[in-house]
Parts: sequence; C-alpha cells; structure tokens
Amino acid sequence: MEMADTMQVTVSPHLHRRDETISRGMRNVLVALAPLGIWAIIIFGFNVVYILAVSCITAALSEIVMRKIMRRPVTLSDGSAMVTAILFAFLLAPTTPLWVVAIGSFIAVVIAKELFGGLGKNIFNPAIFARVVLFFSPLAVYSQRYARPFFWKTTGFFSPVATSINNNVSSGVVYKTLAGNSTSLVTAATPLSLFKSGRLLPGIVTGPTPVGSTWVTSSGRPNVGGLFLGLKSGTIGEISILLILLGGLYLIYKGTVDWRIPAGIIGAFFLLTLVTWYHPVDNLFGGGLFLGAFFMATDWVTSPVTRRGKWIFAIGIGVTIFILRFWSARPEGVALAIIIWNPLTLLIDRYIAQPRFGEVTNPLFSKLPILPKSKPVPAAKSAPEKT
Amino acid sequence: MAIKTDHKTFKGGVHPPYNKEMASSQPIKAAPVPAEVIIPLSQHIGAPNEVLVSPGDKVTVGQKIGGSEAFVSAAVHSSVAGTVKSITEITGFTGAMVKAVIIESAPEQPEFEKKAGADLDAVTGDRVREIAREAGLVGMGGAAFPTHVKLAPPQDKAIDTVIINACECEPFLTCDHRLMLERASDLVSGVKLLMKAVGAKSGIVGIEANKMDAVDEVRKAAEGEPGVSVEVLEVKYPEGAEKMLIYALTGRKVPPGKLPSEVSCLVQNAGTALALYEAAAWGKPLYERVLTITGPGIKQPCNLLAKIGTPISTLVDFCGGFRGEAGKLILGGPMTGWAQKDASAPIVKGTSGVLVLTADAIDVGIEQECVRCGKCVDACPMFLLPNFIVQYTKREEWDKAEMSGALDCFECGCCSFVCPAYIPHVSYAREAKAEIAALRKR
Repeated sequence: MEMADTMQVTVSPHLHRRDETISRGMRNVLVALAPLGIWAIIIFGFNVVYILAVSCITAALSEIVMRKIMRRPVTLSDGSAMVTAILFAFLLAPTTPLWVVAIGSFIAVVIAKELFGGLGKNIFNPAIFARVVLFFSPLAVYSQRYARPFFWKTTGFFSPVATSINNNVSSGVVYKTLAGNSTSLVTAATPLSLFKSGRLLPGIVTGPTPVGSTWVTSSGRPNVGGLFLGLKSGTIGEISILLILLGGLYLIYKGTVDWRIPAGIIGAFFLLTLVTWYHPVDNLFGGGLFLGAFFMATDWVTSPVTRRGKWIFAIGIGVTIFILRFWSARPEGVALAIIIWNPLTLLIDRYIAQPRFGEVTNPLFSKLPILPKSKPVPAAKSAPEKT
Repeated sequence: MAIKTDHKTFKGGVHPPYNKEMASSQPIKAAPVPAEVIIPLSQHIGAPNEVLVSPGDKVTVGQKIGGSEAFVSAAVHSSVAGTVKSITEITGFTGAMVKAVIIESAPEQPEFEKKAGADLDAVTGDRVREIAREAGLVGMGGAAFPTHVKLAPPQDKAIDTVIINACECEPFLTCDHRLMLERASDLVSGVKLLMKAVGAKSGIVGIEANKMDAVDEVRKAAEGEPGVSVEVLEVKYPEGAEKMLIYALTGRKVPPGKLPSEVSCLVQNAGTALALYEAAAWGKPLYERVLTITGPGIKQPCNLLAKIGTPISTLVDFCGGFRGEAGKLILGGPMTGWAQKDASAPIVKGTSGVLVLTADAIDVGIEQECVRCGKCVDACPMFLLPNFIVQYTKREEWDKAEMSGALDCFECGCCSFVCPAYIPHVSYAREAKAEIAALRKR
C-alpha cells in the first residue's frame, strides 16, 4: 500500500480508551435510568410515558432550534439533551400537566444549558435548575401534589391524568383527564411531608392520614420495605431506592460516576439525622436523596473534578439537605441543596488545592504563583506606533 | 476492569491495551546495513555537537563524528564504515530541522573490533563516567538525556539506589523484554557498573508483571551479586516514568521540579545499562540499538538491532513492509511517540520502536468542549489538573496554567487517553510549558 501520503500526524498519545466518549457516558446514564422509568410506569400508569415523551421531544426541539440560532453545531447525538429531559421528568409529580412539562424542559435546555454556552459551560444542573424554577413559579401548584400509588386503577392505565386547579374544593387541586373530565383521585402525602407535618407543623396538614396506602403501617408511620422498594407516592424517579441504587452502582462500575459524591452526600446527611435522631430511616429513603445523590449531584459539568473537591462538594450538599429539611417549612431540600452547591463547584476547583505528586506541604487552598498575568506584548511591535 | 494485584505500583495511571504479543516472541535480529545512513549530529538533550568530519572523509564503524566540549552533551559516532557524503539539514523525527551527517556505506562492512581483556571489577567509578561519555551514551527509553551527566549527581546528594527501568510500560514495544531474555547477565554487569559509578549499595531492576520470563532470567543472572535485586511491578501505564518508578520501588517521592538524586536514586533504562556494559567491556560506542518494529500495519513485527541513522523505510521493508489501510507511523511507543508523515526520518539513539497503526486501529475523535468529567484528573499520575491546564492555555493565562501544574507535566498522555471529549491535553501542556519558560527567562 502507499502509506507515505496518507499518514496522520497528531500529538501523542496515539491511543484512546475504548468506548470512552461523551455519548457513551450519556448512554450509560440512560441505561441506569431505564429501570426507574419502568417502575414508575408500573406504579403511576402510562401517564409517566406521556410526561417523558413530552419532556424529551421538547428538549430535542429546543436544542436543535437553539443551537441553530446560536450558530453552534447541533450535538443532539451526544445524548445530553435526552439525559436532561429524562432527569427533569423524573423530578416531577406523576400527574404534572404536559404543558408544564414542556415549559420546564424548555427552561432546562434553553436557559440552563444553551444560554450558558452549551454542555460543559453550564453552571447549574439543567434538570434541577428547571425544577427549582418551576418550584418558585406560579406553576408550582401543578407539580407538587402527589397522587397515591396505583391511582391508575381508578382512571385507567392508559388515560392521561393531570393536576388542575379548582378553587371550589378545599385543597384547590383536582385531577382531570385529557378530555377535561374531573376524576376523583386520593392525594397522598409523601413520606417526608407526612412526618414533617407530624413533627414540626402540627395541625397545618389535616385530613385523613393515608392509612391503608401501601407504604404506611397502621400506626401511620411509613414502612421501611415500602420506602425502600418504592411503593409510595413521590416524584416519578425518586420512589424506588432499590432501583436507584442498582442504577447508581452500574454507573460507578462503568466509571461514569464517581462514588465519592453519592457516598459523601448520603453519608453526611444520614450521620446528621442519626445524631439529631431526626427520622433517620424515613429521611434516608423517603424523599429524593438517593436520586439526587446518584444522578443529579454527579453531573459531570456541575461537580468538582478533584477528589478532595468532590468530598467537600458532597458533604456540603449532605449538610445543606439536612439544614433545609430540618429547619425550612418544606419537607424536601435535595434539589435546592444541589442548585446551591452547583456554582460553588467553580470556586472549589479554583481554590481548593490538589497537592501534586511529591509535594511536601499539603495546603488546603491554592496559591497563585507570581508570574506576569498574560502574554506580554512584544516591545518591537508597540514601539513604532508611538512615534 | 483491571485485575488488582499485590505488585508494586503508583497511584493514577491507565491500562491501555498492551499488544505486546505481536513482537515479544521474536528474537533480536540484525537489521541490514542501509546504503546510506543519516546521522543527526545532536541526538540528546543539552548542548549541540560540533561536526568533526567533512564531506569526502573516510569513516570507520564507531568513529566519533560529532562532539562538544560542553558537559551536558553526548558524542555521536558513525554507525557504518564508508564515506561522508554531505552534512546537511534534515527534518528530524520531531518535525524540527536538525543538522545531520550523511554517510554512504562501503560495500564491505567490517565487524566492530571488540577490545578484549577489560577488567570490569577493577574499573573505578570515575572511569565508568568517562566510558559513558566517550561512548556517547544517552537514556535509551526515549528521553535521550546524556548518561554521564546523570552519573555525576550534585556532591551533596549521595545516591544509595540504582533503579533499572525495565518496565517497558509503553504498549507494543518489546525490545527491552527481548534484551532481558537474551542478555540478562550482560545487563546485570551493566547494573553493577552503574552502582559503582555513583557508589550505590543496591540496584533494583523493575520489571512489569507481564514479563515474568524476563524476571526469571534476570533473577538467575543476578544470583550471588550483592545488592542487585529484581522487583515485579503492576502492569500499568506509566509505570516506567522516573518518579512513578522510584515511588513504586522505594516509596520515596521526588518533589515537584526536582531530580531523582533528591531522594538518593538514579534511574537508568535497561538498554542504557546494557550499552554501558558494551562500552566498558568492548570499548563499543553507542552506534546501534535494539528496537521493535511492530503494530497492525507491519507485515512481520520483529525486534531488530539497527544502526543509528537507518531510515525508517529500510527497517519497515526488512519487516515485510506495510499492510492494511494507512493510519499512523509512530517513532517510539503509542503513548509518547512521535507521529511521522512518512518513513524518511532516521532512527536515533532514543528510538525504542517503530509502530505502524492501521486506519481501523486508531480512534480519531474530534476535539469537543470539555465536560469537566474529571477523568483526566483521576488518571494523572502527577496529580495535576489537565483540564485546567488546557483551559488556561486556551485563554493564555499562564500563571493559572502553572498553578494547575503545567510545569510538572511529563507528557505521559494518560489524560488524553481517557478523555471522552478527545482533548489533546499534551499539546496544550507543551505550549504552556514553553510559554511559562519564556516568561521566566524575561
């Protein structure tokens, strides 16, 4: 063969790890998320599929249009928009109206990702960002009423159900099918809101204790098996701790996710609830802690790169979740804690030192060396201009 | 996933596919003498050499043709008997222009006359350094730093351990493996000479666990030699990097910006130890070396003893030529070697192999935006921040590039190997190092 003319010349190294690509990393995440989606369909019915579909389609269209407008190459094939769309959907109540889903998915891709400069430049986790924006918007009411598991037994497996507002009923919220017919569903408190109301805000949440739903014992306390396996109300993706663990361990095995972040978050949080004896088990399995720790906080772009930074970031999130759950009026705090720590990633990477090999001193913070700030302008060029 | 072993190692690093089996069973063969050798005048790190011959001169094998009065330099010798044709500028293997002596080989090539009767036990340490300098020895793993300079550490730094780098952690290459199998006792003699030169009490030959036959051979040869031992290391890249190897074998850490003498160690490549033995026992200068011609793009991969200055094309032809679709032609190993645009460059003292990859064997990705996954940080054996070196180099913020560790980067390439965004970190780090050095000089 004639090789001489066609040899490629590049800088070393000339080998690349097999299958180590961005799209492969994203595909690993999708594989890990798949069982969670299937479980959600079993518990909440086909409504979950409608929400996922709307979220994905909106994200894909938004990304294509946005990147065309900003004259960037369309990078849909890297799968990051799909991961964002699915993670966002997993943070929603299973009866969230589809138009709210579309707005949220649009916010995630366009505002939280593309306007920041695209994948790699965003400082907030797009899915969490969109969720938190919805949470603090007038649309909040649509996405925080949680229907009881197996509500589809009343409405039918395939029929779409959405939260709607009706000021004539006491809670202000009713459920409607796509045709607009009201349907009577029993709302169930999530495990966290249940004990939150019981402990800190007595009397505010009234009405029948959802005794008899699968995750509550006759004494009104959540049962551990139900909590862990996922027979409870909650957002689409957070309910089955078992499946989140399996997916998370798969990602750690594949090297897509660093074990330090989930370990730090869950460890720090659990330790604090143990010390304060603040419903340690319910708090551990009841809310979005595991989904957040394994799938949200581990986002490549918005978590630190150094080992030490990862620990600080993770423990910080764990402590913040505890503060939010313990002292705020809200039962949950995972999304807020992550969104608070996301921008701190930049500071951590910049100012927390990673000692080099063989470095004798082991400072916690980096020091800037004394050197000219940037390339000085050559003297010869500037001299003739002055004369 | 990699299998965990109890063998000694360092933290970080990667596990590339090794592909050693292509050439590891091929005994060392002598390569043909080319019609013309192209010998670059300076093949080392340090002061450039003066040319000592002129066109038309007759030269013999081993005759010095380039040298320098400067201490940090290594003489160059003719690898053939013949006539100096010209002294001209050629494109060297790094792509830079270098001065070279072109020698036409005589049809009759006499054997190199080995000096007999050298008493290696009686030779002094000073004499060993002189021998290394006269023979033009350089580090043969690739860096090509003059050996006699390494053998003369600062007065206040006593060396207690000589480490022989026989890891051959670069994938594909097998020349050191073959040397150990075929010439173990000469290698051990070389180790003893090195120990004598720096007054070290112990000499450790570090071999990766994928060459257990070589471990056995060298252990057998080292039996009864006081202070000489063989250690098995985990198969991981870059196990043979100087600082990583010292840490793996002794637990000592060379501080950033310092040399191995700081922790009382001297590291030499296995090939260099052997060349030192040949220089001391036979009076033979470094004019030929063993290297591996291998890769999926070579018909018959093999290990060759080739004259310095032999064009790559001669060696490739001797190995049956190219095969498959054109990909990359690399001088050295796949992790740190230099890609060539054609096969015209000559091999030099630091060339450990010629590697030909076919188009389907190379994974060429388009450089994408960094996604901050941190895989490069985990892989870096120096614990640097490769992604930030890249980012600050792009922005020309050299102070921050240095803070991220640019000056400590030895370009092993682990970061790029694991990068899902196909970022060529090494290229950015080289730029940063050059710029920072230029700023420092001002």
